[in-house]
Amino acid sequence: MMRRLLWPSVALALAIAYPLLFSTPFQQRLGALVLLYAIAASAWNIIGGYAGQVSVGHVVFFGCGAYAAMGAYTHFALPPLVGIPLGIVLAVAIAAIIGTPTLRLSGHYFSMATIAVAELVRLVVTNTEYLGAAVGLSGPTAPRTVFDLSFVSALPYYYLFLFVLAITLAITWWMTNSRMGFYLRAIKDSERAARSLGAPAARTKLHAYMLSAGLTSVAGALYAMMFGFVDPESGLGILISVKILIMAALGGAGLLFGPLVGAAILVPLEEISNNKFGGQGAGLTFVVYGAIIMLIARFQPGGLLTLANRLLERRAKARETTTATTGAGHAP
Amino acid sequence: MRAGQNPALIVVRCNLLATTRGFMSFVILQVIVGGLLLGAVYALFSSGLTLVWGMMNVVNFAHGDFVMLGMYVAYLVYTLLGAGPLIGAPMAMLVLATVGIIVYFALIREVMKGPMLAQILGTFGLALLLRYSVFWWFGANFLTLPENIIGGTLDLGGIRIPASRLLAGIVALAVTFGLHLLLTRTSLGSKMLAVAEDSTAAQLMGIRPDTMQAIAWAIAAGATGLAGALIATFFYIVPTVGETLAIVAFVTVSLGGFGSVPGALVAGLLIGVIESLSGYLIGAVYKDIVVYALFVSFLWFRPQGLLGKS
Amino acid sequence: MNFRTMFALSCAAAISFALVSQASAEDKAVKIGVIFPMTGNAASAGIHGKAGLEVALDIINNAHPELGSFPLAKNAGLAGLGGAKLELVFADNQGSPATGQNQALRLITEEKVVALTGAYQSGITLTTSAIAEKYGIPFVNGESVASNLTERGFKWFFRTTPIATDFAKVYYDFLTDMKASGAKTDSIALVHDNTEYGKSVADTITTAFKEKGVAIALDVAYASNATDVQSQVLQLKEKKPDVVLMISYTSDAILFAKTFQAQDYKPPMLIADDAGYSDPSFIKAVGKISQGAFNRSSWSVGPAGSATAIIAKMYKEKSGDEMDDTVARQMTGLFVLAEAIDRAGSTDPAKIQAALKATDLKPDQLMIGYKGVKFDDKGQNILASGVIIQLQDGENYTTVWPKANAEKPPVMPYKGW
Repeated sequence: MMRRLLWPSVALALAIAYPLLFSTPFQQRLGALVLLYAIAASAWNIIGGYAGQVSVGHVVFFGCGAYAAMGAYTHFALPPLVGIPLGIVLAVAIAAIIGTPTLRLSGHYFSMATIAVAELVRLVVTNTEYLGAAVGLSGPTAPRTVFDLSFVSALPYYYLFLFVLAITLAITWWMTNSRMGFYLRAIKDSERAARSLGAPAARTKLHAYMLSAGLTSVAGALYAMMFGFVDPESGLGILISVKILIMAALGGAGLLFGPLVGAAILVPLEEISNNKFGGQGAGLTFVVYGAIIMLIARFQPGGLLTLANRLLERRAKARETTTATTGAGHAP
Repeated sequence: MRAGQNPALIVVRCNLLATTRGFMSFVILQVIVGGLLLGAVYALFSSGLTLVWGMMNVVNFAHGDFVMLGMYVAYLVYTLLGAGPLIGAPMAMLVLATVGIIVYFALIREVMKGPMLAQILGTFGLALLLRYSVFWWFGANFLTLPENIIGGTLDLGGIRIPASRLLAGIVALAVTFGLHLLLTRTSLGSKMLAVAEDSTAAQLMGIRPDTMQAIAWAIAAGATGLAGALIATFFYIVPTVGETLAIVAFVTVSLGGFGSVPGALVAGLLIGVIESLSGYLIGAVYKDIVVYALFVSFLWFRPQGLLGKS
Repeated sequence: MNFRTMFALSCAAAISFALVSQASAEDKAVKIGVIFPMTGNAASAGIHGKAGLEVALDIINNAHPELGSFPLAKNAGLAGLGGAKLELVFADNQGSPATGQNQALRLITEEKVVALTGAYQSGITLTTSAIAEKYGIPFVNGESVASNLTERGFKWFFRTTPIATDFAKVYYDFLTDMKASGAKTDSIALVHDNTEYGKSVADTITTAFKEKGVAIALDVAYASNATDVQSQVLQLKEKKPDVVLMISYTSDAILFAKTFQAQDYKPPMLIADDAGYSDPSFIKAVGKISQGAFNRSSWSVGPAGSATAIIAKMYKEKSGDEMDDTVARQMTGLFVLAEAIDRAGSTDPAKIQAALKATDLKPDQLMIGYKGVKFDDKGQNILASGVIIQLQDGENYTTVWPKANAEKPPVMPYKGW
């Protein structure tokens, strides 16, 4: 038990210490961004990783939160924080509406349906004046109260996002150990078999989808608060769906810390290649970024965390064999 | 407007049509014809995708960028050799088929063994790599082939059909027909289908899955390169054009049914006409909304697509 | 050492290395941050802008006596700072407001720039300048036209380019003059995309014209990056407006021009609102079939040997393309900023801000056809203006209006091909 908590505790300690050790505004902001994407990717993980239903349109829930936050401010002068509960309600409702007919579609069709729905919503919003149309919605330019969450420094954002990530991961962990998680594993393995054994497949998948949607919308609302702006491209664009998906995939979908590992690698990678190459205008940023993603996919299709886990297992197994044969305690 | 009819008669007939039913329906006819031509183009660059998606179950996020590569090959053929699509299209096919084989052995073979996520991850990385390598080499400028490369517009009784788009449409039909024949009537095709069905069983029968899949991938890439070369005769060429086209291809392929080349044709034509009509009748900003809405509703009633297997 | 430890250590090493501040040294140089789209759909504009700004940098940092009384050209470097050189640090906004903001933060806090310029797309200028405002760094925008940018009550944001309300006035005056000389301008059609650019300009024009009692006959909106625009052209062909006003980015502009030809449609008068129709790629691709298109511009090459002609030549050597209005406006933004820094005689942001507020440049001190540069208290240049140019031969634009600036009279009707 203690051993299992070792790495997560180390990670938590490092995460808490990070912005104090790397304290330039840019490094702190980078850290906050990693955590933000980790929240979105971990939320996605619930339906995409654990349930095995690859949604490529998750940005629609992200957009729910972002637009709820900015809309509450623009139209009702409320602090964008209100966007969190509002966005969750909206996202869960949308998930219920589109999930019910779509989740019974098989793999690739489900993914295509999610893309289509997300693009549909984006196009509708682009043509809706109330939601800012193509211009988008802005948040407060100067904070009125602390609840506006409009800070100059990235440090408060960092710890806020860390807190929300911890909750997201806790919820995910609780779910995997609950009956829902048990059913999801069975469904992911073989839906037909699971159903024949009495697992309520449709309902379980729908609940997972709704849970994932709600948490993703929280990430969206937090994003809007930090950047103070959302428009159809940045809040509902397909690139965001793909980004959170590849973060989860790169780190390890279906693993608790997979999305965090993926975000911790991809977000700095993109920022740093942009810093180094962006200004030249030769497109090198994305040549490097694309090549690295491709290499990781090719050599570690299960994600990087599976590599780490496998190495840990191998080491544990080696230790067992050693202790069994030599009878000694701790192997060097 | 059948070939051999007296053009004067066609004009007279259309004018009668116009005067009896009003100008509106004549324009609608033009809208539909334009939609069919557009849809044929969609089908053309989607046929390669449906092949790999259906047969090999591989989601290729780099598909749009393969089309883009085909466009640039055609551009290079023009600027270096001064030749049009007669040379450009076969060159694009060859180059893309080669690229397809390289991509297969370097990436696809590995990620195919993994979950769909690994394929999305890998092909997304590939897409960025291809797109920005072209960007690095050619720059961000919008390039075009000259207007007269497939020049002119056919005027059939008032219905205007740009020759370049007509050519692309005819080739789309030919490619669909050709691929369909290949898969259903040739031994190569049946071997490829066998591998797609059950690669272990196929191996037992002496068919090498690796070779078949590499060939399938090369054919699909070649068809996509051909599409790109033809599209370049009437569309602009820029490294990011793949982004715009990829999603259209995805919708076409899933509407038509993964793996069904005739399905991609029908779906493409349908989408083209719906897009054109709704753009004209409701407004251009809504045409994509209509297409997506119809697509999603369709999926709910017939998930396997128009001509896909249940 | 086993693999796991090595793996972990190399990850940590890589991340730490990458995180270490990499600000370039060069103490004497005055750094200005430039945030442009260098990748993504608008990369063409960003890369051309970079070439333009590098030409401007050359003019500022080196002696160019051939440019006459053009500010900062005569001597090398910034005289007000003892000849200190200007240094531009370019960053890519990748077409994303979030990335733009992150890069702005990096430029301000790591590269220690004294001012920022950019960011082309209005939405990105919005978020990027918000960071500059928070950190008290002057932000001079030369090319974004959304009206909300100067409506935020910002103190550090300055915009040199004319905005949609200015263009609306130019179009109205131009059309009134054309009507007086016999052209038919009663029904006007607006063709625009639904991006922030297309929609806001179209809305502004509609409102401005309505105030003067002229109704827009047809509003054809389309989704940008279209694959096909036949339906829109058919709508125009049906309604037969006297004037078609195109508000499009390059990709759609090219598509429209080709579709006009395919459908054999020639509006009696075609006016383009800069953007796509000014892009050299557009002219190269479909200029020959768009002869007679009017365009609004603040830039004009001017007679041979003039300062503007020399600058245009320098730009052509650097980028390989002809100078266009957008690049000229971006360069002007940089010149205005550099002039203010020079006048402030200091790199202190507050002093630069004060110098900007006091800017009062005359037309002969500018490379662009504004009536001058003077900022109001919202940060908007109230002397920004434009002229109407026409693509008469399909290759080059010539100024045709107002009469005082015209090189040639306007040619009517629209020739097309």
